[in-house]
Amino acid sequence: MLPSVLLVAAMTAWAVPGSAAVAARQYLPARAVAQPTPPCHPTASSLRPTSPPRVTQGSFMAKIRARGRLIAGVSQSTYPFGFFNPLDGRTEGFDIDIVHAIAKAIFGNPNQVEFKAISDDQRIPEVWSGGVDIVAHTMTINCLRLEKVDFSTVYFEAGAQVLVLKNSRVKHLKDLRRKKVCATLGSDSLGYIKAAGAIPVPVTNFTDCLVLLQQGDVAAISTDNNILAGLKAQDPWTKIVGSAFTSEPYGLAISKMHPDFVRFVNAVLQQMRADGQWAATYRHWVGTPVPAPPPAKYKA
Amino acid sequence: MPSAAGQAGTAVTAVSDAPRHAVPAVRHSVRATTTPAKLRLLLIGLVSLCLVWGAVAAWVVSQRASGANDVASATETLSLDGQKIYRALSDADATADTAFLSGGLEPIGGPLRYRADIAQAAAHLESATAAAGHSAGARDLATLSAGLPIYTGEVQTARADNRLGLALGAAYLREASALMRDKLLPAARNISAEANVRLADASGRATGLPLALVLLVAAVIVGFALYRAQWWLFQRTHRRLNPGLVVASVAGLVSLLWLGIALSVARADLLQARTHGSTPVAALAQADIAALQARADESLTLIDAQGDDSFQTDFVTVQHRLGPGPGTLLTDAVTAARGSPAAGSARVAAATATTWYGVHRTVRSLDNNGRHKQAILLVTGSGPRHSGTLFTRLDGSLTRAIAADQVVFRRHAAAGSNAFIGLEVGVIVLALIMAAGCARGLATRLAEYR
Repeated sequence: MLPSVLLVAAMTAWAVPGSAAVAARQYLPARAVAQPTPPCHPTASSLRPTSPPRVTQGSFMAKIRARGRLIAGVSQSTYPFGFFNPLDGRTEGFDIDIVHAIAKAIFGNPNQVEFKAISDDQRIPEVWSGGVDIVAHTMTINCLRLEKVDFSTVYFEAGAQVLVLKNSRVKHLKDLRRKKVCATLGSDSLGYIKAAGAIPVPVTNFTDCLVLLQQGDVAAISTDNNILAGLKAQDPWTKIVGSAFTSEPYGLAISKMHPDFVRFVNAVLQQMRADGQWAATYRHWVGTPVPAPPPAKYKA
Repeated sequence: MPSAAGQAGTAVTAVSDAPRHAVPAVRHSVRATTTPAKLRLLLIGLVSLCLVWGAVAAWVVSQRASGANDVASATETLSLDGQKIYRALSDADATADTAFLSGGLEPIGGPLRYRADIAQAAAHLESATAAAGHSAGARDLATLSAGLPIYTGEVQTARADNRLGLALGAAYLREASALMRDKLLPAARNISAEANVRLADASGRATGLPLALVLLVAAVIVGFALYRAQWWLFQRTHRRLNPGLVVASVAGLVSLLWLGIALSVARADLLQARTHGSTPVAALAQADIAALQARADESLTLIDAQGDDSFQTDFVTVQHRLGPGPGTLLTDAVTAARGSPAAGSARVAAATATTWYGVHRTVRSLDNNGRHKQAILLVTGSGPRHSGTLFTRLDGSLTRAIAADQVVFRRHAAAGSNAFIGLEVGVIVLALIMAAGCARGLATRLAEYR
């Protein structure tokens, strides 16, 4: 595990948009227009919990309990949210801690979890196919995805920025017109890279982007600032530039077939917000200052 | 044909003293041609025929000898180098990947084994480059020479990042592994396949029947000409044998006998080298390459952070290609090795493969049911029913089988090649003796008319 000192240093470079209450996506307005009624509110789209979290008979949680383990689709390469720690061979991170909390609520044991490594573009297919019970994978809640899967309440708020080498003069995505910019396949970063006139270079993992940046194959990486901070922590010769130009509220993705599980997970998240566990996880993985947790908003 | 010498005589006579006569007179003059003129023509005809025979025989021998030589040396080396490069690189990649399997400090044997593999690949790459010359394999060798330092550079970066606990290490390893699997290993496989094609070609040149047929036709023509010439002289010279022509005939017979024995011995040896040597070796080597590929897939299914099942898909594809089963590599290798020293080891390999697939299915089912640690143990462990042990036995059996049949190949190919020693010079010298014999024999007769 990386010392959190290193992490704290990394975090100072970017401002967490803790108070960002921007609901609508700032890019791709056309998509928002195309949404059918009722109007979509990404950050206020989840189901109200029947707190506290309880495994009721016949519920999806009961099925998970019968199986003996929760199956979560996670990233193995997105430090510090979901990553394979080569020093102890375990999957760790902010997203992973939330999954452990959900497992604890179901089994009483946080470790009854199977982490299934999936790539960005497998997140929705895996939820659909039932290959995983839940996806905890730095996943932005947006209207397009809401048509396909359900999300928990927002558990983290990020915003897109740009990562370049320290000697680069780039200040913003706009400076990267006709330059190669890396992002992962299936992330919505590719969309705004293209919209800014840069050449998107899609890869599987964000660490693959860092390999390309180190080898001089791309000029920059653009994605959520928390992911960029994780990359910066792995290469001190990089810097994050500009201010956040999108709002990326993260949610846990669950199949539309299991509204009971969505309510259950929201109850767990609510507990984590209330008892300081969310803040402790944030401090451990992201660092200080710790903002107030994103407020839980539900469908009317 | 019977009058080949006579007709030649006709033509030359016509040139020498007929042009000034009318056509019927020409015919008359032919009949009237003197014995000395006929003898002179016979001399020229027979001497040329002997020299042509020598040239044809020497050419056929040189073709066969170079084919046999190619079989015994360059192409065989290249084919095996290709396979050894593949083996070393594939093992290096699997070793580098396995170091990331379990997490924590990589086992101390890992880097040593990886270094030994890279050194071996580099050594075989060098000898293959020397053997390849300007053949089609040269391009693949260039790919390997250029790619190997990039690969090792990326693996070292991965290792350094891994030591720092950075997730970035896995990305470098994936990049290196992709380079290995998409570019370097296919190039090594091509070298082997390309060399096997060349081996088959050289073997065909050394054993093919058309060339032997050319030789036989030439021998029949020369033999018949010598026989007719002697019979004609015999009748004309009060039934006395002409010593010069007898010497020529004996020399002709000796060269024919030598050619016949050497070519058939060489052919038998080279066919033996092919049937019980290069054919089973090529089949076994291909099976071994496929087995190595499947083993690498097995390891990669467990460390693949993508969650897609491309490595398992590849494992299944390779498994179907490897066999055993009708038309598969292992079954082909067992069939090819039948009757050769490799037969036993090849059968063991085929039987082990089946057991290994069974354990692999257990590995997959453990991994798919969240028992990742047990799956890793089954792949890396060294117990009798562990996947690692079974693969080692499969690979070991194939390696032993290859070595056994290589000995057969080398022995027969060398014997086949040795049969040609001195033959080319021999047939040329004998042809010169034949020509000299004819010249001397006929010149003596000719002198009697002066």
